[in-house]
Amino acid sequence: MNVVVTPAMVGQVILSGILSGALYALVALGLSLIFGVMRVINIAHGPLLMLGAYVTYFLHSQLGINPFLTVPLSMAALFVVGLALQRALVFRVVGAPELSSLLLTFGISIALVNLVQLAFTSNLRTVEYLTGSWIIGGLALSKPRFIAFLFAAGVTALAFAFLKFTRLGKAIRATSQSREVALVCGINVARIHLLTFGLASALAASGGALLAVIVAIQPEMGSVWTFKSFLVIVLGGAGNYPGALLGGLLLGLIEQLASLFLTTQLSEVVAYVLLVLVLLVRPTGLLGGRSA
Amino acid sequence: MRTLLGPLALAAGVVLLAGPADAQGPIRIGASLSLTGTYAEPGTYQSEGYKLCERDLNAKGGLLGRKVEMVVYDDQSQPATGVRLYEKLITEDKVDAVMGPYSSAISEAVANVTEKYKKVMVAPLAATTSIFKKGRKYAFMVISPAEVYLEGLVDIAAKRKLKTIAIINEDTLFPKASAQGTEELAKKAGLQVVFKEAYPKGNQDFSGLLIKLKAANPDVLAAATYFDDAVALARQMKELDVTPRMTAVTVGGDLPKFQELLKQTAEGIYGASQWEGALPYPGAKEFFDTYTKEFKHEPSYHSAAGYAGCILYAEGVKKAGSLEADRVRDALLALKTRTMFGDYQVDKDGFQVAHKMVLLQWQEGKRVVVWPDDLANGKPRFPR
Repeated sequence: MNVVVTPAMVGQVILSGILSGALYALVALGLSLIFGVMRVINIAHGPLLMLGAYVTYFLHSQLGINPFLTVPLSMAALFVVGLALQRALVFRVVGAPELSSLLLTFGISIALVNLVQLAFTSNLRTVEYLTGSWIIGGLALSKPRFIAFLFAAGVTALAFAFLKFTRLGKAIRATSQSREVALVCGINVARIHLLTFGLASALAASGGALLAVIVAIQPEMGSVWTFKSFLVIVLGGAGNYPGALLGGLLLGLIEQLASLFLTTQLSEVVAYVLLVLVLLVRPTGLLGGRSA
Repeated sequence: MRTLLGPLALAAGVVLLAGPADAQGPIRIGASLSLTGTYAEPGTYQSEGYKLCERDLNAKGGLLGRKVEMVVYDDQSQPATGVRLYEKLITEDKVDAVMGPYSSAISEAVANVTEKYKKVMVAPLAATTSIFKKGRKYAFMVISPAEVYLEGLVDIAAKRKLKTIAIINEDTLFPKASAQGTEELAKKAGLQVVFKEAYPKGNQDFSGLLIKLKAANPDVLAAATYFDDAVALARQMKELDVTPRMTAVTVGGDLPKFQELLKQTAEGIYGASQWEGALPYPGAKEFFDTYTKEFKHEPSYHSAAGYAGCILYAEGVKKAGSLEADRVRDALLALKTRTMFGDYQVDKDGFQVAHKMVLLQWQEGKRVVVWPDDLANGKPRFPR
């Protein structure tokens, strides 16, 4: 079907792309951290996001808390879960061949999804909190997605500030650059790994908490996010933290523009074609590989 | 000796009474159902329908004088898992009979297995025509095919003299078939299809699609969806102010949870249903009440179709007087009846030709049947 595409439509779609891109960036940042610091490929990233969404759902439905205010709570909860996972399981595959971490985190992801299915059933849940949109200059700004965008931007900014200005953040970046040198400098690398996994889980959880208001919540909701996070970090450069930001926004924009100019079916294809191109032409990602 | 006589006689009596009736053991009917995964919601409803059927059959003396026992595994909403499980049920567990799984996709996959072993399979939740048009001999359809899901929408639209229709669908088997069927029906009714697009499974942002759809400005929107995409779609339509005069979704719009999940956003949306408890079919009300009491929530059409499919299979076995596949097959091919689910009659391919879909609309938080006229209990509302 051929519909004439107007500038207003393109503007609307770019807006949507940026909104969803921010969420992609937020979630992918966590994945990038884990890979950058520990060289661990975390397949369980999506399920961590899903757990964050469930925390928000239950806090909202049982205790009536404003879903957006549950974001820090969700983050705190999953920070602890992340710590536990790292302490018990993930530390065993740090520094091991990538396949080991892939298998382990894959197993963790299956376990998490099934535990949730057992505990909460696969019944869809929603948080019907904010619907509709604001109309600004002829463009519709989705209320839940825009608020989510603000939170995502805020949390991402805080994460970057943490990484850049605090001692712990610098230690994380140092370990990311070189584990050996960090050790020599007296950094407790094991502790950094622990913290990083916790932090990354918290970031994934914040994405989940924000998503809880936007999409339907169910145990498998995370899997598509694991894929997309990988897409983002390959685009931006694995272990490159600003790269996650760029990659996320890029993915969001590409998906929506492809959906507009081609078809929504093809928007997925376009994203993966881009992935292949980037891997062929610039395998370290658009902003280059692991860096501070 | 005297003191032993009493207990011995008692024991002998018990053995005699217990003997012949269970000599062959229960009839074991196997199936895999989507108890977890994407289709868990409707899959669970269907499994409850099977459970209730098992209970009701046994309460009436079982089948061919034997108890009925359903053996159900979880295929996790994955066709490949379903295939593996039916192989297991037939070759390892050696069940006497099988019933179908949830969804066209999984039914299609497992039908290859059941055909291979020549097992009659009533597939109560398979709505895709192609499954039954591949020359299979042992597969039987119960519900209306995907192609006619939105027949009511098109009919009402044409009667109301609406001119344009947009059709979107998830890019998987059932929604694709539904979209195609709707397109054909729309063209026949004289509606102009102004926009048609598919989206990938798991898509969560419909902005691009909806922007284009809005520009095409259709009177009617037919969305062939599953549940979670129906939720995301309905919300984004509200955000982007996409307001056709009529909007219908396929799977999702009819489920009781749709309104629970979307509240006001669900208002005015049409859903297609294979069955409603309020329909004047024989035994529908009794089924509705018994089910609600047993499972503490109302049945959906998946529950009813599962129940009816199992009852229809039992009917076929009764008429054939045996579990033998070819005899049951002949019985099911010849059978013409009306159950609590509606009419049943199949053509020579096992394809359902008698059952009718109903169209319902969410009005003030309630599901109202608005089409066809002889089954309706309300009129469609047009807010715009």
